[in-house]
Amino acid sequence: MYSGLRYGLALLSLALSAGTAAAETIHLGAVIPLTGPAAVVGNQELRGIQFAIDSANAKGGVHGNKVEVQFEDNQAKADQAVLLFNKLVDLQHIPMMFVGYSGPTLAMAPLATRKQVLLVNAGAQADKLSTASPYLVNTLPSTSDEVKVMVKYLGEQGKKKAAVLYENDAPGIGGRDDFVDLFPKSGGTIVAQEPVQFGQTDYRPALLKLAAAKPDVLYVVITAGMPSLVQQLHEMKPDFLVAGSTFMADPAAIADPASNGIVHTQVQIDAPPDLSAAFKAKYGADMDFFARQYYNAGQIVLTVLDKLVAENKPITGKNIHDALFQIHKFQGLIPMEFNSNTATVPIGINEMKDGKDVTLKQVTAQ
Amino acid sequence: MDFLLSYLSLAAIYVMLGLSTNLLVGIVGIFSVSQAAVFGVGAYIVGHFLMAAEPMSFLAALAIGMLCCITLNILVTLPSLRVSGDYFVVTSFGIQLLATAVFTNWTAGTGGASGMPGIPPPDVFGYQLQSSWQLMALCMAGMALACLCFWLVMRAPFGRLLRAIREDERAVAAAGKSVLRAKVSAAALAGAFAGLAGGLYATFLSFIDPSSFDLDASILLLTMVVVGGARTLAGSIVGPFLLLALPQILTLLDIPTIFAATARQLIYGTLLIAFMLFRPQGLLGERL
Amino acid sequence: MILLQLLINGLVTGCALGVVAISFALVYSTTKIFHVAHAGVYTLAGYIAWLLVSHAVPEVVALAAAVLVCAGAGAVIQHQLYARLERRGAPHLVVLIASLGLLAVMQNIIAAVFSPNILQFPVLWANRTLALDGVALTYAQLLTVLICLAAYGGVMWFAHYTTLGKRIRAVASNPFLAQITRLQPNTVYVYVVAIASAIVALPGVLVPLDLGLQPYGGITPLLTATIAMIAGGVGSISGAFVLSIAIAELQNLSLLAIPGEWSIGITFFIFVIFMLFRPTGLFSAAR
Repeated sequence: MYSGLRYGLALLSLALSAGTAAAETIHLGAVIPLTGPAAVVGNQELRGIQFAIDSANAKGGVHGNKVEVQFEDNQAKADQAVLLFNKLVDLQHIPMMFVGYSGPTLAMAPLATRKQVLLVNAGAQADKLSTASPYLVNTLPSTSDEVKVMVKYLGEQGKKKAAVLYENDAPGIGGRDDFVDLFPKSGGTIVAQEPVQFGQTDYRPALLKLAAAKPDVLYVVITAGMPSLVQQLHEMKPDFLVAGSTFMADPAAIADPASNGIVHTQVQIDAPPDLSAAFKAKYGADMDFFARQYYNAGQIVLTVLDKLVAENKPITGKNIHDALFQIHKFQGLIPMEFNSNTATVPIGINEMKDGKDVTLKQVTAQ
Repeated sequence: MDFLLSYLSLAAIYVMLGLSTNLLVGIVGIFSVSQAAVFGVGAYIVGHFLMAAEPMSFLAALAIGMLCCITLNILVTLPSLRVSGDYFVVTSFGIQLLATAVFTNWTAGTGGASGMPGIPPPDVFGYQLQSSWQLMALCMAGMALACLCFWLVMRAPFGRLLRAIREDERAVAAAGKSVLRAKVSAAALAGAFAGLAGGLYATFLSFIDPSSFDLDASILLLTMVVVGGARTLAGSIVGPFLLLALPQILTLLDIPTIFAATARQLIYGTLLIAFMLFRPQGLLGERL
Repeated sequence: MILLQLLINGLVTGCALGVVAISFALVYSTTKIFHVAHAGVYTLAGYIAWLLVSHAVPEVVALAAAVLVCAGAGAVIQHQLYARLERRGAPHLVVLIASLGLLAVMQNIIAAVFSPNILQFPVLWANRTLALDGVALTYAQLLTVLICLAAYGGVMWFAHYTTLGKRIRAVASNPFLAQITRLQPNTVYVYVVAIASAIVALPGVLVPLDLGLQPYGGITPLLTATIAMIAGGVGSISGAFVLSIAIAELQNLSLLAIPGEWSIGITFFIFVIFMLFRPTGLFSAAR
């Protein structure tokens, strides 16, 4: 009699535990700058990720499993990033993290290799990131990929003498180095270079000095302060072309009529209008480049998790990494392919015209 | 476990920096927001020599680093001896900003804004340290050495001399003791601690860039000393451990992430004001 | 032409810096406090004005409001923080650290409320250019020069010809005597910090009008301004103003000779040299 009861209870508890096991939360991490001058970008990255995750959870999650992202603020500092990486991996056994900003990411890369935790970068473009770790994947092209496309375009436009305005930090100096290396190789000369500080908004002295060297194109590598730059350039009434990279695509700068005629490479990533509208309704901010990039990265990770859960494989860093490369072709906001640790995506040449950013042509990076 | 180990290692490094700052600001009374600059110099020098064409052993590189930091600290605090307290404040800010400019722009020496990646782990007397446990042990050893040194110095006649200078500089000078030599020696010792911390930091993190050695870092060091307690050994230990743990404690509270981040800086600032108003001696220190 | 344009730009930046220097000098020479949090008040002014202008308040009213709010903030800072610290006999170092803490608090509250992004004033006329003979000047820049020069003139007049101004100078030159001759230094201190905060609100609004608002950008102009104050001689209003313009011109013109990334570094380097060889400044009042 009692043995029957015991068997019944055992079966019941087995059934219950199987039921609860099916609805486990998948925990992921994100180590990005949320304070300090880099917070501007970091907060957009957070929103992009959160938006992707929330939409997925609203539809029931990944095969019924909710996904949760633990956000940590690394203040764009390497030592904080290391501490937070260890915290997420040791205390919460996180198998995968979103990262951004070259410096901290490079600091985490060797740890990721050692602990087999996947890092997904959708914002930083330093060239070193392509080879920093087998466990670091980049969903956007590196700076040199973009510079190659722009140099080719400038060659086609007959521009021979270039001046460079660059931000005095990792992304700016990286872009400057690549441009100064590649432009002469296609027959041009660099006539002047000037650095500006991150967050500095008075570009006038630097612009004056560069203009005095009489370039026919000014290549700009700055990550913040575009609206001010665009206005100050316009004040000068320049007789040279102004060119840049994806960093230039600041919505306020594009909307300003002063930006007419500026060309830049653009990592093609657009959001359908209803998605942008939903994003804006939820967060009160435009879905800018970084928000789109990280939303896209979120989609990629969700696709990978979907495959793992469907195949009943445990969610570990190694499995996520392997599955990502197995799938290797993704359709998030844009199609992208992983033949190496850096995704191949189309890069366009855009021109700012009458308040809009118009794509002139598209090139697929090698 | 790694998380706890990396926290302990970083805390040990910051304790050494705390001792350095405490010596300069608390004991000698020189206002300094340029300690992070000296820390940075130590880190970059050790990093450079460990990755040179003919890599040096860690202890040799560390010795060079400490020597440079000692010299630098003496040079940096010399103006304070000629110039009155408030003017030196501006000088100290200036030195820190100048150092940050050098770290960021001298690409050949420091790797510039992109930093110096791939610094190898340290080797001690031929034995290569690799695991997190070993690294933590090394940092703890460094911290213990610095604490012992500090304690011994403060108990010695030199320590009494420093305290006397703090109370009444002119009386000490009138008694025939060289105030200049005492201050310079204290600055030198503070430089040694900062250099030691810098070298350990470089090998522990394996990647350094200018953002760890900027004005904010100097202000954080000042906060650690103020909160932990000025002029005492206990204060120099408690301050760093507490303030490094603060961001982690904050994450346990359920604040929306965007605010949690600014909340941390806000708390540092509020701590500074509150302690200065209500408890200038910090948790375990003496009155500044 | 590049030379002339650089000079004009330097004049604009220098005038704004000059007002920061004068206002800081006012506080420092009277209360002897190194009021680092002044950079926070400077930052606050811009954001108050931006908030109002974004809600369709006319620009002039927004500027006036910013000035008033900052005056109030300054008064509160002196009365609630510095006065309290002084009552407890706090040494200079303690007051300085408290001021640093206050700056961090102010900057981060602003960053939390307004976001850390660079914000632009939604004012269209500010960026229209006035072209004269090969040099260009935006209306915002022109306004900066005019208002800051007016502020300089105003402070000079105030210090020498009004009763309160004279009282302030008396307290500054001899606080002890002021105490016993019933000049009430403590009340004077509150007035001084309030007035200084009101004055610094002017460049606090005008500079971001031209260049954009950021929460963490106040410390560099403040430090440069203190260098100007010290180099010009503490206690000399004209010294502080003139040296500010000189430093701004130096920074602009140095671009012609040295790479841009070193221009701020050079400024501080020169200051350190100055400190070693001529610590009392160029125009200091006889001591």
